[in-house]
Amino acid sequence: MSGGPYNYSYIFKYIIIGDMGVGKSCLLHQFTEKKFMADCPHTIGVEFGTRIIEVCGQKIKLQIWDTAGQERFRAVTRSYYRGAAGALIIYDITRRSTYNHLSSWLTDARNLTNPNTVIFLIGNKSDLDGQRDVTYEEAKKFADENGLKFVEASAKTGENVEEAFLETAKKIYESIQDGSLDLNAAESGVQKKPTANGARSLSADNAEGRNPSSCSC
Amino acid sequence: MGQFGVAYFVLSNLSPKNNKSVFVRSKRKRIAYKNSEGEVEDEDDLMPGTERESLARGMSSQKGREYTIRLALEKKQDQYIDLKGITVYIGSWNVNGQSPGSICLSEWLSRTNEPPDIYAVGFQELDLSKEAFLFNDTPKEAEWRDSVKAGLHPGARYFHVRTIRLVGMMMIVFVREEIKDQLRHIAVEQIGTGLLGRMGNKGGVGVRFELNETSMCFVNLHLAAHVEEFQRRNQDFHQIFNRLGFFINEKVKYIKDHDQIFMFGDLNYRINPATIDATKAKALIEQEKYSIILEQDQLREQMRLGHVFSGFTEGTINYRPTYKYDSNTDNWDSSEKNRAPAWCDRILFRGGNLTQIDYTSQPQYKLSDHKPVSSFFNAKIKVINPTRQRKVYEETLKQMDRIENEYLPQVTVDIPGTNQSSHSNRNEINFGKVKFMEPLRKTFTVANTGQVPVHLEFIKKLNDSHVCKEWLKIEPVHSFIMPGETCEVELLVLVDKCTAAQLNVGRDTLYDILVLHLESGKDIFITVAGDFERSVFGCSIAALVNMSEPLTMISPGKLIELEKGKMPVNHYDIPKELWFLVDRLYRIGMDKDGLFTMAGSQSEVLEIRDWMDTIPNTPIPGNADSIAETMFLLLDCFPEPVIPFSMHLKCLDSAHNYTACKQLVRQLPAAHRNVFLYLTSFLRELLNHSDKNGLDAKILALLFGKIMIRDQNYNAKANARVERTKATFIYQFLVNDDYGDDLWPEMGEDLVSFS
Ligand SMILES: Nc1nc2c(ncn2[C@@H]2O[C@H](COP(=O)(O)OP(=O)(O)O)[C@@H](O)[C@H]2O)c(=O)[nH]1
Ligand SMILES: [Mg+2]
Repeated sequence: MSGGPYNYSYIFKYIIIGDMGVGKSCLLHQFTEKKFMADCPHTIGVEFGTRIIEVCGQKIKLQIWDTAGQERFRAVTRSYYRGAAGALIIYDITRRSTYNHLSSWLTDARNLTNPNTVIFLIGNKSDLDGQRDVTYEEAKKFADENGLKFVEASAKTGENVEEAFLETAKKIYESIQDGSLDLNAAESGVQKKPTANGARSLSADNAEGRNPSSCSC
Repeated sequence: MGQFGVAYFVLSNLSPKNNKSVFVRSKRKRIAYKNSEGEVEDEDDLMPGTERESLARGMSSQKGREYTIRLALEKKQDQYIDLKGITVYIGSWNVNGQSPGSICLSEWLSRTNEPPDIYAVGFQELDLSKEAFLFNDTPKEAEWRDSVKAGLHPGARYFHVRTIRLVGMMMIVFVREEIKDQLRHIAVEQIGTGLLGRMGNKGGVGVRFELNETSMCFVNLHLAAHVEEFQRRNQDFHQIFNRLGFFINEKVKYIKDHDQIFMFGDLNYRINPATIDATKAKALIEQEKYSIILEQDQLREQMRLGHVFSGFTEGTINYRPTYKYDSNTDNWDSSEKNRAPAWCDRILFRGGNLTQIDYTSQPQYKLSDHKPVSSFFNAKIKVINPTRQRKVYEETLKQMDRIENEYLPQVTVDIPGTNQSSHSNRNEINFGKVKFMEPLRKTFTVANTGQVPVHLEFIKKLNDSHVCKEWLKIEPVHSFIMPGETCEVELLVLVDKCTAAQLNVGRDTLYDILVLHLESGKDIFITVAGDFERSVFGCSIAALVNMSEPLTMISPGKLIELEKGKMPVNHYDIPKELWFLVDRLYRIGMDKDGLFTMAGSQSEVLEIRDWMDTIPNTPIPGNADSIAETMFLLLDCFPEPVIPFSMHLKCLDSAHNYTACKQLVRQLPAAHRNVFLYLTSFLRELLNHSDKNGLDAKILALLFGKIMIRDQNYNAKANARVERTKATFIYQFLVNDDYGDDLWPEMGEDLVSFS
């Protein structure tokens, strides 16, 4: 174990981006509070939530930044991408316009984060299947073409919400394990917390991490 | 390692404490956490009850968080701790300096059916020799240890934990092999209370450890002798109980800090001789009326009075006194001292989950003047259930998460005149029409609606060098608000010479997004907007000389064209606005005392501004000083000063040579040259009236040098030497006789004739 006995060993920073009204704040709230917040006020700024999860036996603290989606804030919210280890791009499966804007969000995500940032595409409001405006297959194809992970989720029912956040963390953790994510790089979006007893060093951790069998989840 | 295995490893570092934890304020005014064992756990600045807040406030140092989780886990201990039964065997014997010889100790030590899990065997007067006393060295230690080993219960294998000896006091501790890996923090300590209050002929030796999650302490005592010395014995006890400290990881644990404590040995308490003398005692003993004699037992009495062994229990004594016999017999002391019988040798215990099974003496051992005693206990020790502990741990983490989110700083922003629930203009502050040099103020309120104090700060956006645009001021830029309190923020919009030019041509707009940052929390965007009323202030000389209409008649697009365009032909020789101002001064200001050196009226300046932007069919308003100030302002707002920036160095170089100065003026763009000559000839005219207006060339040169050869950065600090050189340049044109005849090219007659 590399963490202190009662603590997390890493902090991962996530950003949630996408058009206004697609359900970014609701997804964050569902993930941190396990509740649907139907009357969520518009985000005018950048909200902030945390939760500790476990990946491969490691406690990880997710620090999640939920950004305002309005176009006029775009220039300002761009400054929050820096240092994100995970980026969740959200669209609303009942509003095609939000899907059409994905490439612009993806461009920002790619340009403003580091190459190892895990980008996850989420089609939200899957509970409103009757009002569907974007098919699963179409979005899946877009995700595959762009090398993104993809799920349809619902902030309302909670479907796939946990999975998307955890899957992202797992991917980030894997890049730490295989050494492709350099924790010392300022923009990695990952902070390694010092071990409680100071006994384990980062390099020892990595060396062990290269052995794939050490990740037993 | 499987998941549970991992969890167990992680969590087994926990050392739960029975007792409540308390906070104490340390001397350095920092708050330190101290548990009941007196060890300082953490030096973080944690205040009682505020660890939650501190987490939320970003003070959640790793240590602070560790501490909070551990505290929470300890509180829930009963949810994941199981009790496991073990047995403890205590033996004590004052051997009067004898060697064991071939004696077999199993009748003393191996009296139970099942082998005990723990043995703690104490001896007193192991060696009475001078060598032992002075040099603490004795061959008897090994002899007795071997005998004890041989006498342990044959039904189990034993691990020798520790032997500790101080002169004649010795204790040996064994545990069954099977549990030896569950021992942690084994420590031994000794304390002398004998001669001079510290020599080792009396005192105590102790062994402590934790078995799973239960801390155990064994102390073998030999207290002061002699019937009348019971108070001295009490004193010895207190000295040992309070001062015997075991060092564990550089922290001290005292006897009292243990879950289960066993104290035993030759305590030397006697029967009160005043009520029961030796003869009477012996008679009662023969009738086995021990309880009557024990009424007069000094230890029992001192315990009743609360003077010694408080909190300790002693079992019922159903055996003959263990002292004093003639060696190798069962006969009472027959020496001339004729000591009265007494239960000198005792076993006491303290702590939860202890049940004494028996408490006896083994009179068959006749080696010494004392008989050995023994006691057997059932003890329950705390053992962590890793699965359940993990569950509690997970729950605790989740709880911490919730707390952390709940305790994030929260504020609401209340902007007067906006509907905060409406989506369209929430967090938007609109200043409406904004005019040049007319400051506008608006305030809004930030209320702390969360549970923690909030430190708020307006922060720079990425790539920006300032918190907001230049035409905006925020007061205060950062603040601290307690829960339930509010803070008023004032925004001041002022378009002045620094920003007018940009706003005129739309290179900037009155629009900014402010980022209000809550420390360790969210960011709130506040949009500031307004409509700037364009004005001639900030227009360039080049644009103005091509503007035949008042500025308000010019469309924004046209103005941009004018500012960009390279007009082949200038419509006017100089900006008409400048002409209006100078012409007006000709009429009303030439004799004005101290013209250009006195401030005009602010409201008149704004009236003149409006007049120039519209050019109505009325006389230009304002007195001479207001006109003069407006003129300065107009000149100061030219994006490119009369002497363009690119020519400043050359200008300063030629300042001391009039010919060179004239050469430079010749090279100015036509409109700039005209403005320059127009202004200097006006100033020469003004100097002709110096008897009235009191001006002199030096003052005017200094004032106009500053403005016509203006530095690029409005906010740069003036360099006195440079300013003097600029003045020198202008001065040349104010005082030389051959002024400018060769410089006036094709300027139109109408402009030159002032009168
Ligand atoms: N039916 C349904 N409505 C949702 C879901 N997620 C969000 N909403 C609604 O969509 C609206 C916008 O959500 P919000 O989280 O504020 O979007 P944001 O602007 O991306 O942060 C709100 O009215 C939510 O109640 C969802 O999964 N299902
Ligand atoms: Mg939102």
